[in-house]
Amino acid sequence: MKKQSDLSKLFDYAGKYKYLTISSWILSAISALVALLPFVYIWRILKEVLDVSPNFGAAQHLSYYGWMAVLFAVLSVLIYIGGLLCSHLAAFRVQTNIRIKAMHHIVSLPLGFMDGIGSGKMRKTVNESSAATETYLAHQLPDKAGALATPVGLLIMLLAFDWRLGLLSLVPIVIAFLIMSAMTGKRMAEKMKQYQNSLDQMSNEAVEYVRGIPVVKTFGQSVFSFKRFKAAIDNYQKWVISYTKDLRLPMLFYTTIINAVFAVLIAAALFFTASGVTNEFLLNLIYYIIITPVITVTLTKIMYASENEMIVTDAMERIDSIMNMQPLTEDTHPLHPRDNSVVLKGVSFQYKDASNKALDNVNLSVLPGEHIALVGPSGGGKTTLAGVISRFWDVTDGTVAIGNVNVKNISKSELMNTVSFVFQDSKLLKMSVLENVRMAKPSATDAQVLQALHDAQCDDILEKLPQGVKTVIGAKGVYLSGGEQQRISIARVMLKNAPILILDEATAFADPDNEVRVQAAFSKLSEKKTVIMIAHRLSTITNADRIFVIKDGKIIDSGSHAELTAKKGLYADMWQEYNRAAQWKVGAQNA
Amino acid sequence: MLNYLQHKYALSKKGAKDMVKAFFACTFSYLVLMLPVSLLYFLVEDLMNGGVSSGGRVVFYIVGSVLCLALIFLTTYFQYNATFFATYEESGKRRVMLAEKLRKLPLSFFGKKDLSDLTSTIMADCATLETASSHWIPELIGSIISTFIIAVSLFFFDWRMALAALWVLPVSFGIVLASSGAMHKKQMKQMKVKMACVDGIQECLESVRDLKANNAEEEYLKKLDDKICAVEKQTIVTEVSNAVFNGSARMVLKFGIATTALVGGALLVSGSLNVLAFFMFLLVVSRMYDPMMASLDNLSAILSANVQCQRMDEILSGDEQTGVEKLTNNSCDIVFDHVAFAYNKNEQVLRDVSFTAKQGEVTALIGPSGGGKTTVSRLASRFWDATGGKVTVGGMDVSAIDPEKLMSLYSIVFQDVTLFNNTVMENIRIGKKDATDQQVIAAAKLAHCDEFVDKMKDGYNTLIGENGSELSGGERQRISIARAFLKDAPIILLDEATASLDVENESLIQESLSKLIQNKTVLIIAHRMRTVAGADKIVVLADGVVAQQGTPHDLMEQDGIYRHMAQLQQQSGEWKI
Repeated sequence: MKKQSDLSKLFDYAGKYKYLTISSWILSAISALVALLPFVYIWRILKEVLDVSPNFGAAQHLSYYGWMAVLFAVLSVLIYIGGLLCSHLAAFRVQTNIRIKAMHHIVSLPLGFMDGIGSGKMRKTVNESSAATETYLAHQLPDKAGALATPVGLLIMLLAFDWRLGLLSLVPIVIAFLIMSAMTGKRMAEKMKQYQNSLDQMSNEAVEYVRGIPVVKTFGQSVFSFKRFKAAIDNYQKWVISYTKDLRLPMLFYTTIINAVFAVLIAAALFFTASGVTNEFLLNLIYYIIITPVITVTLTKIMYASENEMIVTDAMERIDSIMNMQPLTEDTHPLHPRDNSVVLKGVSFQYKDASNKALDNVNLSVLPGEHIALVGPSGGGKTTLAGVISRFWDVTDGTVAIGNVNVKNISKSELMNTVSFVFQDSKLLKMSVLENVRMAKPSATDAQVLQALHDAQCDDILEKLPQGVKTVIGAKGVYLSGGEQQRISIARVMLKNAPILILDEATAFADPDNEVRVQAAFSKLSEKKTVIMIAHRLSTITNADRIFVIKDGKIIDSGSHAELTAKKGLYADMWQEYNRAAQWKVGAQNA
Repeated sequence: MLNYLQHKYALSKKGAKDMVKAFFACTFSYLVLMLPVSLLYFLVEDLMNGGVSSGGRVVFYIVGSVLCLALIFLTTYFQYNATFFATYEESGKRRVMLAEKLRKLPLSFFGKKDLSDLTSTIMADCATLETASSHWIPELIGSIISTFIIAVSLFFFDWRMALAALWVLPVSFGIVLASSGAMHKKQMKQMKVKMACVDGIQECLESVRDLKANNAEEEYLKKLDDKICAVEKQTIVTEVSNAVFNGSARMVLKFGIATTALVGGALLVSGSLNVLAFFMFLLVVSRMYDPMMASLDNLSAILSANVQCQRMDEILSGDEQTGVEKLTNNSCDIVFDHVAFAYNKNEQVLRDVSFTAKQGEVTALIGPSGGGKTTVSRLASRFWDATGGKVTVGGMDVSAIDPEKLMSLYSIVFQDVTLFNNTVMENIRIGKKDATDQQVIAAAKLAHCDEFVDKMKDGYNTLIGENGSELSGGERQRISIARAFLKDAPIILLDEATASLDVENESLIQESLSKLIQNKTVLIIAHRMRTVAGADKIVVLADGVVAQQGTPHDLMEQDGIYRHMAQLQQQSGEWKI
């Protein structure tokens, strides 16, 4: 059931290439059958030799049979390679499609989908889980088809030559499998589980150990954390050895018995020839002697094939965990906002897996051209509130409207052209400064981009860069500080020139030069726009038209700076705390 | 050979010996599997001569068969022991060895490496080598040796037939080996497009917010799709060439059957070969090629495991930071004496830095970002060793002291706090291993941790999740300050920004820090000019040199970077939206 669904999922990713996968199975099975034909010709060689014996000069067909054996052997290899080519082409396509679909899907998700996952882990899921399907599709499935075809072909052949010998030579194999399954029962499954647990434990310890080394070293305790990790390694070793020990006897019996076909043949030969030897029997016997090792090889192949199915199931689960996340919807008949106002009505929002609402029945109305500020303790909901306005997340309850139109009914690109967001930590892409800025408005001329950079106070950055505006960010020797990156990203926003602006003030301290420039850029940017600022330093917002105090997902107070400081509320406390902190000096006299 | 194996596969001495043992075990086990062939040979001989007549012969076959089976059982037993047990033991040792080595590498090593890369070397690469040394290598060597022995005996039996049957082996192995050279170039190319694709995915994930905010995601995805498709194209090229080489190696093996039949037939006709010998060669060739095919696969697997070996080698051959265990400092003054430093050859971060941070004083490092403030603080605690000049503490050259011993003099409170999946209590106790619960709680109180710990379910015994995922930035910071209180080291390295992580608790953290640094040698990386107005000494770093140093008062008098920065900050402090 599970396997089926994995495979059909993979087929979905394969598209038309799934026929290649199926062809690869067929080719592989044909190749396995053709691979048996050379043995028939070896038999014919032997037959001719025995028939003409001792007058060997009469053996006319030996070289013909020999070449036929080669022909079929080579044919089988060629068909096999053809099959593998098909399976590989399909496997690569599946891989590519998984990656492309996953990335397109990720981009369509609400932001914050990566919260608590981390981009590194996400990248691994997209990149490595897709790669994990390769071996399965490219090698294991076709090999399995071949391995299943072989016994069928063998059975036909075995029975065609001498059914008594044929059946007898199957006996050891049946016994070997019975022994194996009898001896690897419930107790072994239990052991396997313990072994898996100790493996997991060791992995976790490894992560903790490696992550902790820097800190543990600074406290001079690496010996102790090392001992802990070593204990996990030793524990794993103990389990793996005990597991291997328990598996030893079944494996020994299995190996011995599956190799015991010769003994059965000898016994059978002794029994059947007690009353005399016919040439035909001799010939059949020789044939069986030659072909039975093939059985051992194929069956061992089937046995080891099942291990990797688990890897694929696991990989598909991880990919599905991404694909099952709900993307943002897009209205098919989008409406246009009528002005630059922002209105939130009864808005609630809850992050996935969170126990509390991040926003709880928030009502807020911003007039066109108004400058408002959001303040409050970290984790109180300021950033979430700004996020639902630009529809980085969809609200769980209530509505967010821009220009009297619900943001859900505005087309994605129009929404983004209406609302600009200046993040605390914008990321620049690995391309030139020019292209980095132009991405906000692909139709912009070079001159317009340069003007935007100038307005964003980036002139000093361009002077410093080796190829000026053509310098590729992230290339060797190109270093931009956080503040400098932020100014370039402000240039993007300048270029886009959207009427509504959301600013997330930086909490960390850039160096003073940068800070002055970023502020100048902010001022220029805010002119004649609706501005919503997430503020951390209260001194910057004392002139805002209105200040909203947000705590535990609710707006608990609002008004101008003067009004709020007059009340004895949270804002007044924060203002006091802010001033106290700003006065702090490091040094002996503070003590 | 022992030395080679030891180095190449990161083995202990015993491990290398065990591996050689495994070679022999595999060899014997393969040879024994060929024993039944001789029995069958005799059987066919008897039957050709009219059947097994005497009871003695029957007993011979029965005893022979039982003996063969017993031998198979025994040699498999030895092979099983030699390959599995020794390997698992060795794998454990290898992991311990890597862990031990990681512990001794300089802290700078961890800055350059991705955490998951290091972990996967300890886990996944070790597992690959586990399979390599339990299966691939012993099986390959075993089959080569046993095949060689069989081949030699076949040559003694009839050299013409042996040649006809065996010429294919060296040829197909030669093809695989020769192709690995040709494939290498293709694989490098493939690696390159793969890296470009991975980087693209990473970049997209990291900047998806910016892409969406700028309506640029479609454009970007188009380029990313190209990168992903490029991987497919290059992989097909590599895989097709691989298939050509591998396929021809397999085909060559199959030719063996034909040449045996052809040569055998010709010799039979000319009368210089008897039927039995002919039969035996056919028997051998039909049994020999399948294991050889497996050996070819083993060979390719071993060749591709070289990548893992290299990764492991990179860690094992990394330079350890060592030094004497004895501290000989006569005070806790930190002195930088014409210190120069470069992370990479072309990026000189510090050119010539000289200053003294006196015991009992606060020395503040300020300057534009990229000026070298962080580097200076890291050199002071020997995260790295200076590339020029000397850093001393109380007259003792830090580069001559064992890093962990040296650390006993320092408490470091930086922005990035590493926490463990353990209780709050144990996370603080990292500061001082043998501290009592009372001491830990006292330190926690000084760092204002009790305010949030009291709200937790089990107080100080609450588990804080992997890397403290349950805690906010300010809370993590306070735990790291509590550690520093508990450690009570004479030198404090501090990043002022740590105080600002948690705006609403800023003054609490500031208060803790003020208490922490009393009467210590304090080196602080500062961002706010007002904060350092009370420092004893200010060192202004710009472009890798000390641009100015002196008391805040003196520097304010000079027309220099400090005054410029102070004025700018005054201005930005008054900015309003």
